[in-house]
Amino acid sequence: MAGEQLWTRWTENARRAPEREAIVHWVAGEEPFRWRWGDLVAQAARFSRALADAGVRPGDVCATILRHHRAFYPLYMGISGAGAIASVLAYPNPRLHPSKFVQGLSGMARRSGLRWILTERALEQQVRPLVEAPGSTVQGVLFPLERDLGGGGAAAPAAARPGADPHLPCLLQHSSGTTGLQKAVVLSHAAVLEHVRDYAAAIGLGPEDRIASWLPLYHDMGLIAAFQLPLACAVPVVTLDPFEWISAPVLLLEAISRERATLSWLPNFAYNLLADRVHDEDLEGLRLDSVRLLVNCSEPVRADSHARMLARYAPRGLRPETLGACYAMAETTFAVTQTAPSRPARVVEVDRDALARGEAAPPRDPERARTCVSSGTPIPGCEVEVVADDGRPLRDGRVGELVVASRSLFDGYRNLPDETAAVLSNGRYRTGDLGFRVEREVFVVGRKKDVIIVAGKNLYPEDVEDAVSAVEGVLPGRVVALGVADEALGTEQVWVVAESERHGTAAADALRTAIQLAGMAIDVTIARVLVAPPRWLIKSSAGKPSRKANRERVLAGELDVP
Amino acid sequence: MVSEKLRSVIRAQLRLDASFPIEEETSAPRVPGWDSLAHVALLAAVEHAFGVRFRTLEVLKLRNVGDLQALVDRKLGG
Repeated sequence: MAGEQLWTRWTENARRAPEREAIVHWVAGEEPFRWRWGDLVAQAARFSRALADAGVRPGDVCATILRHHRAFYPLYMGISGAGAIASVLAYPNPRLHPSKFVQGLSGMARRSGLRWILTERALEQQVRPLVEAPGSTVQGVLFPLERDLGGGGAAAPAAARPGADPHLPCLLQHSSGTTGLQKAVVLSHAAVLEHVRDYAAAIGLGPEDRIASWLPLYHDMGLIAAFQLPLACAVPVVTLDPFEWISAPVLLLEAISRERATLSWLPNFAYNLLADRVHDEDLEGLRLDSVRLLVNCSEPVRADSHARMLARYAPRGLRPETLGACYAMAETTFAVTQTAPSRPARVVEVDRDALARGEAAPPRDPERARTCVSSGTPIPGCEVEVVADDGRPLRDGRVGELVVASRSLFDGYRNLPDETAAVLSNGRYRTGDLGFRVEREVFVVGRKKDVIIVAGKNLYPEDVEDAVSAVEGVLPGRVVALGVADEALGTEQVWVVAESERHGTAAADALRTAIQLAGMAIDVTIARVLVAPPRWLIKSSAGKPSRKANRERVLAGELDVP
Repeated sequence: MVSEKLRSVIRAQLRLDASFPIEEETSAPRVPGWDSLAHVALLAAVEHAFGVRFRTLEVLKLRNVGDLQALVDRKLGG
């Protein structure tokens, strides 16, 4: 159905089935709060009215910085109802230094043109100065969850006008990071609704489905798969608090079991956590028979993680064909590929050495085999090409950069023409990911760009290197940050090599701690710090320390102390 | 009072050196390496070292090392 805004779709869902469950808000140890469609949309309309009264105008970007709260959902919908553009930002982790939080937020506000910050009183002191800063785009800070909206009906919000333009922007998503250099992707109502329709077809979404999710909504996987998709398709979603889930992973299994959920999206590390960090006694009475598809997404899919998950939960009803995967990114709204529901993700064994040379060939020696898991085939409206460095298309089985054409493709990073031009041309997006194809199935095997993915979250080595460079005793600019496989957790961890005159002295220990603390201040855990002597790091042709060249030396143990 | 045993489990698990101060009011965000991913593994190490089992809601209520020590004590005493 072309020509709709989100609000139209949501009100239609409420009109058709006002009593149907829309969102089950889950809090550990409490009875879940159940939003039914009629109440949810009525409350959203009240929020729309309250926001308009506070000065929010159509087209304004409203950034939310809120913790898990039952009123979040109608608030988000109310922003859309007011014709404004919603942008969910991460609530600051307690590790993140307040000054870094403010620095990141003000950078984002400037670059993305944030107009309103909707947050909690606890952050007022940090956020308020943004409004007063000279040249700030931020017009006001609102505390919408404190307001009593009353129970009466609200007048129809701005978006309810007939003929509201579906090509207007409805949401803005940021790439991850804390430095304020995050890039923003803006999506229109039509783009979101079209994408959700295409993706729903790829996973065979139906009225009997129920989604369970602990994913944060500032990330595309949470926002699109576990929020926009269920809202647009009127499929109930059970939402958990990401902070609670990471401390007690069993909560997701409890929610799936009690709510009979059929679908969930998880980054790879979650499979390891669920397989290894849940007690048997906490699983008493829990069943996973209802699950028809678990989608592994947002970081490289590992066969071992799927195997562990299945071994642990097959006795509780988890079936092998439920272990699927998806390749997705904010630049294509969400999904590019998806494995077929009701079939486990295809797995191929390839030769590691051949793979390093760019060829996915069968292993000659089992010791040198690498198991690659398919991320599935392109969803409707999407095409994936594998290209060589010079842009030449490569045949099946050759490794190259993945280039995507999609009808859900973004039209550029907001206010960043150069960054956009670097990755987007002729309707094709250069992902920076490396992979190969076998009969339309896409296997993602690495990255051309240096991004490090820790637990589904993208970290930019430059951000870590800048923070470490500023530590006293480190030679400025003589730092590299690397992502190193963390097999136990099924993700990557961050290692840092820093040159210092203190190499080999008693003061090196204190320096290591100071470097770890600098990582913590930007909410990055540095798993290993290696202090190198001056001029140890190999420089690239551009004169900066090369991550690639130094990585090999580090992994070969050249800096290890006996 | 934080026991030496709990201190050494935490330090060993997070690979902190022996002089890293761990007191009742020490909380995860202030300790290198003690992030949300490491938290679950650390609790498992504490459970293993003391031969106790924590329940979900008990885990979610922990604010600092003092709370963790009190929880361990309660498990051992009860």
